[in-house]
Amino acid sequence: MPDLPELDPVVHGKLRLAVLSLLVSVEQADFTWLRDKTGSTDGNLGAQMLKLEEAGYVSVEKRFVARKPQTLYRMTARGRDALAQYVAALKSILGSAL
Amino acid sequence: MPDFPESAPSRDDLVARLDLMEAMIAEGRQATARCGWIFVLWGIVDLVGVALQRIYPQRWWNWPLIISVGWLIQFTVFFRQRRRAPRVCSPNIKGRAMAAIWGMMGVTLALYCFTAMFTHHGGTTYFAAIFMIIGMAHAASAIILRWGVQGAVAALWWAGGVSLFFLPLTSHWFETIFSLEMLFGMIFFGLYAMFLDRRTPNAHA
Repeated sequence: MPDLPELDPVVHGKLRLAVLSLLVSVEQADFTWLRDKTGSTDGNLGAQMLKLEEAGYVSVEKRFVARKPQTLYRMTARGRDALAQYVAALKSILGSAL
Repeated sequence: MPDFPESAPSRDDLVARLDLMEAMIAEGRQATARCGWIFVLWGIVDLVGVALQRIYPQRWWNWPLIISVGWLIQFTVFFRQRRRAPRVCSPNIKGRAMAAIWGMMGVTLALYCFTAMFTHHGGTTYFAAIFMIIGMAHAASAIILRWGVQGAVAALWWAGGVSLFFLPLTSHWFETIFSLEMLFGMIFFGLYAMFLDRRTPNAHA
């Protein structure tokens, strides 16, 4: 029986997966937009975004807009590859399970 | 949003993750929503303009007034939407292309119409040019979105523009064609786009 592919643990976290799925459709998004779309809290989302940044899957830009801080996230090429591989692995596992 | 256990995910876990991805991708793609309400708005604005011109033909300021009201409504709604959802989310290149096409069409028509009005140019060829410009915007949009229905709407606008060169120069014909274009090329099309956006946000993203 062939080995089933492993799921990237960074991508596999539910909130991190939701964030990556949001970022894949847009050029960039700010923290509050991501928080509102995922229904998460500031603390939880902040922690997960840090994990994604440390893994190299998202890049961060911090700036001020009308004297208010704004944090913008973009998906990196490495993040896109990781998500694509995760989807392929998921389909492979689900296909085997059918 | 709690994390599932990281070890030995069940089939249901994995299916739930696929559903989650689909839902989030759809949320992101709403940045390229079709904004059908704008077509409905301008279809109604233009029909009101035709009606005003019929009732008060001596008033030169019918069209400047009604177009200004249309812009006011559109920007008011935009700002209200922005206030309700001020979060930054830059659309992808497709969204930028759509915004560019329709934004620049609006600028072109505004410059064209106001200049023509102040220099007293008009007639059916004036409106034929307007129809052609709108048709071009629809055609470009249809290519980007790969949306056959909008391609048909573009053809409708072009056909209307071409017909104005051949049909008798009576106000009856002109008003009929103009009204049909507004009904089918703006209002009905806009309502259809709104229906699609509500039903499947990413149907054409």
